[in-house]
Parts: sequence; C-alpha cells; structure tokens
Amino acid sequence: MCDHTNKNIYLPYLATVEEVIDETPDVRTLKLVFQDEQVRDSFNFRAGQFAEYSAFGAGESTFCIASAPTRKGYIECCFRSVGRVTEELRRLEVGDSIGVRGPYGNSFPIEQFEGKNLVFVAGGIALPPLRTLIWNCLDLREKFGEITIVYGARTESDLVYKRELKEWEERGDVRLVKTVDPGGNSSEWDGRVGFVPTILEEAAPGAENTIALVCGPPIMIKFTLPVLEKLGFTDEQVYTTLENRMKCGLGKCGRCNVGNVYVCKDGPVFTAKQVKAMPMEF
Amino acid sequence: MGKTEGCKGLTKKYLPLVLTPKEFKFLFFSKVFVSSVLSVLSVANKGFRMQKYITEQNLNTLLDKLIAEGKRVVAPRMNAGTPLYEPLKNSGEIIIDQLPRRSGKEAFFPLCEDIMSYTKEGQKVELKDIDPSRFPETVLVGVRPCDAAAIPVLDAVFSWDYKDEFFLERRKKTTIVGLACTKADDACFCTAVGLSPSDTKGSDLFLTPLEGGGYACETFSDKGETLINSHAGLFSEPNNAKTVALAEPGTEAFDLQKVKAWLDEHFEDPAWDSIATRCVGCGACAFVCPACHCFDIVDEGTEKSGKRRKNWDACGFWKFTHHASGHNPRDQQPKRYRNRIMHKFKYYDDKFGQTLCTGCGRCIRLCPVGIDIAAIVEEISKK
Repeated sequence: MCDHTNKNIYLPYLATVEEVIDETPDVRTLKLVFQDEQVRDSFNFRAGQFAEYSAFGAGESTFCIASAPTRKGYIECCFRSVGRVTEELRRLEVGDSIGVRGPYGNSFPIEQFEGKNLVFVAGGIALPPLRTLIWNCLDLREKFGEITIVYGARTESDLVYKRELKEWEERGDVRLVKTVDPGGNSSEWDGRVGFVPTILEEAAPGAENTIALVCGPPIMIKFTLPVLEKLGFTDEQVYTTLENRMKCGLGKCGRCNVGNVYVCKDGPVFTAKQVKAMPMEF
Repeated sequence: MGKTEGCKGLTKKYLPLVLTPKEFKFLFFSKVFVSSVLSVLSVANKGFRMQKYITEQNLNTLLDKLIAEGKRVVAPRMNAGTPLYEPLKNSGEIIIDQLPRRSGKEAFFPLCEDIMSYTKEGQKVELKDIDPSRFPETVLVGVRPCDAAAIPVLDAVFSWDYKDEFFLERRKKTTIVGLACTKADDACFCTAVGLSPSDTKGSDLFLTPLEGGGYACETFSDKGETLINSHAGLFSEPNNAKTVALAEPGTEAFDLQKVKAWLDEHFEDPAWDSIATRCVGCGACAFVCPACHCFDIVDEGTEKSGKRRKNWDACGFWKFTHHASGHNPRDQQPKRYRNRIMHKFKYYDDKFGQTLCTGCGRCIRLCPVGIDIAAIVEEISKK
C-alpha cells in the first residue's frame, strides 16, 4: 500500500471517479474524490492551481483544477481527448481509480480582487481555468462588485459547462455574454454571433475598479489584449493563465519555461504585464 | 577522441561564422597557454583538508575492498567497446585513463529509473513506492574534473523547492573520487568556463597522478576523509614527487558575464538561425552532457500492471514542448537550440547563479553535424 508520508514527490494520490459529465462531443469533466480520507480533508488548493492526472499505464496529463476551492470534498478536471493519456482518461468510468498529484503552481490573488468588478473572458476549452475562480467568487458573492462573463466557442456544441452557462444566465447577479463564431450557430441560438474580442468590445465593460481575467487560445489572447487596452484596462488589471506542456509540475523536468520563467512554479497565473515581458515562446 | 575530419569539413562549409576548436587553438595559442597555466596554479592545492599518497596498486586494492564491503564502486569501464561510468565487478575492470562516453551524472540521475509501480484489479489501483533508503552506498572513482564539477551544479535544481529524493539520496550516499586530467583533445574547453584539469569542485577526494607512479590524494569533505581513514593502511604520507603534466585544453576563458549580458538582450536575433540551422534534433548533446538534466515521466506496462519511469529527455527534440493541441512554442530547431544555449548560460544562472556547462566537450565530439558549443559561446562573447 502506498504511504503518503514518504518523500517521493512523483507519487500521486489515488482518487475515485465519482461522476462523468460530457461537456462537448470530445470534452469531458471528471468529478474525483480522494480515496484516502485524510487526503480528502487535507487537500487544499487555490483557484488557478493545476494538477497532474494519471491514467495508469498511459501516463500523466496536466490540467487546472476546474472546481472551486469553496466546494469541498471533491475536485474536478475538464479535458479534451486529443492524445494517448487523455484518451485513456476518457475511458475511465464511475468507480474507476485515477492518480492525482498536486496542487501545483501559483494562483489568482483573489484577496486583491475583493471589492472590485470582475470581467471573465474565455474561449472554448479555456473556460475551466476561469470557472474555478468564477464559482469561488460567486460562492463569496458579496465580496465582489459586478461580474461579467464573456464566453465564446467555435460552435454551440463546443461550449463547455452548458448547464452552468444557463445557471449564470438566470442569476440576477451575473452578466453572461455568450457567443459562437460565425457559422457555429443553429437557428435556436439565443446568444451572440462573432469572435470573442469583437463581442467583448461590444459588451464594453468599464475598466474602473475592474479586473479582467482572460483565458483562451493564443490567437484569442492576441486580439483580446488590445480590446481591453482600448476599454481602458492597464496591463496590471489583466490576468491570464498559461498552459505549457509539463511533465513534473515541480520545477525540475525543464520543459515548461518561457524564457527564464517556469510556468509550473512562477505561474500558471500571470498578469498581462508579466506576459508582455516574456519572450514570444508560448 | 578528437572529432573526425568530416565534422570539421561540415563546420567550415556550413557555418563560416563559427570557428573550429583547431582554429581557436591557432588564434589564441599564446594566450591560452598562459591562462591555462595560471588557472592550474590558482586552483590546485587549495582548500584541501588532508593530504596523502596512494600507489596504483593500493588504489586497486582499495576498490576491491570497497566492492567486498558491498559498496557500489562506479568507475570508467569498457562496456561493449564503449567506456562508461559503470559499477565495477573488480578493480581490474577500471580504465582510469579513458574519458567515458557519457558523463558521471548517471550515478545520481540514471538514464532511466523507476519512480513507482502500479497494479490494477478491477476498478482498484494499488501503487507501490520506491524506497530510496535502499539505494546502495556508492564510491564514484576516476571522475574527471568536468564531470565532478557538474554534480554540485545539479544539486541546485534537484533540491530547490520540492526535493527529488531519487537524486538527493544517491548524492548523500556517494563519495566522489575525482582525478586530475592529463589528456585534452581539441573539443575540451573546461578552462573556458572557469574550470581546469585540476579543479577539485565536486570531489570529496581528489587524485593527482605523480611522476614515478601513484597519486597525490587531497580530501575536501568529511566523506573524503572517511574514505581514507577507514582504509588508512593503503595510504601513506605525501611524498615530494612532481605532478605529471596535466592537460592543457586549447580554449581561452570565456567572459561568461558578457555572454549572459548578450543573451539577456538577444532572445530574438538573426544569429540563432545561422547558429543552429544544421541541428538535426538528435538529442545526443543532452544525453552525453554532465549538466543537462531535463527528463520525461512515462508509464511502461500493461492495463494490469506496470511502472512509472523517469527518463532522460532533451530540449532538442521537437516533441519536448509539443502541446496536445498541436501548438509548439519551440516549433523550429533553431528555437530549440536557442533554449539549450539560453538554459546553460542564462536561465540556470538567473535561477541558481550557476553555469550549466563544464566544458567537457562531449557534445562537440558527438554532434553528427559538427555543432561546436564552445565556438558558439566564444562567438557570442565577442558580440
């Protein structure tokens, strides 16, 4: 039996798949509960941190912890099945065992966001890293000002967390602006049509006393940052998370660096100011 | 062990900006001679705790005794025609005069090692840990200064923040017996990165060959002293024999601060394309390097049971940074080679205040397309 008081930093905790949720045809959420009761109680993380998830026999994959730290007793991960490990993770059924190492990396400085308005901007599969923070803030709703979520995907079916989008839409204390790329909508689509940066510009959230949190594919980030600048956001008001290929997650294996910045240790959460100071290697 | 003529031809033909070691030797011979003599004088015989003498025969007896005591004695030995640092069965196997093909790092950081194993039964998985306390006591013997010096450099990455006990436990249990270097070829450049053929960095006990046979022994740590004290009968008091002529690598000292200053400002520079356009991404440079430490973690086994392993990896491989999405931040070979130079001469310095290169020259000897890191760094230092 595996003893977690030992010093092997590469040894994962075992968790059980408690629920499997299909978000899109190829994106899946796994709800996980640690098998060791002590680990279940002691596993503390902050929004923005990531973990290494094992499909034994295939290896490990790196994803953020997609559930909120305010929801205790379980964690969730959300991934697209694109490679050897994610395809094996996708085969897991309720009751199966999975390995989890973490939590690793830095996190969103949520305490600094208190009393401020928040604008979340996400594209496609990049909603999970922000969803942890969205629920974290919604669970402590009175501590924050206005909350705006601008979320888009290529097509309607590529939108993740569809049930939660509905929930956010129906809440009176969240402004959700959802969009799909032109051509990605059906006749029943009740959201916007257009790329995320354009829709963000139209939604025009004010920059005063506001923090913007952006996560998406590199091309979306590239066109979103100038829009935020136009809306009056400074680079210190904008946060993002970087996701590089990782193996150890511990600052040893040497592959996730952008220049001399180790995404696994110095990140994954960075301000736009920090990102702009990095060489173009991400 | 010099490079083949073919490699030199390639160097000249495809990379006119970069000089071969031979050309450097020609250009800087006089300066080099003076600087290497000075560096030998300044480093040798400083900071030791205890001085002794051992004959070659007694050194062999020592190795056999250590093996008989159950210790793992790792030293240069011939494996199917290739000299490697490997565990000896007896002292007769040691080939102390040959530089092993790969570096001494694998005594601490093996090419491939198990980090756990798993078994699956239905929905249940059981994990079995590796117990580092079972790693054997080891004596690493005949380590060249370029290899020994890399080991404390690696301590930084494996011990900062999270502690890698696989490396650190072996490190704790290993006594390093360094050996002054008497042979340099035109790929050697330890003197260029601040070391020398008699540098004792990383050694617990350091041997210097003497004229008339035997070795002068100097200790630099408790481990070195313990090794001598526990076999005191094999050592005698130091004699006045002269040191044999040590190697004189043919490169002048690089101004590493100047190199770093250029790297700080030139992540984007047309030079990178000309420097590494030939690189084929074979990864040989990283595998033979005493300081490269990037690794992969992979599962090997079946649905039912298997092992998780930590394997050497190389930033020269395209897949090293390849995302599942298909995006690759280092999508071209020059970007990958730039990372190699940056990691060695800038990033590791930024993070740990050390240079990740000890000038062993292995990557120069083995590069199939004749890329010469010493020439590249020299070129950068002149920009």
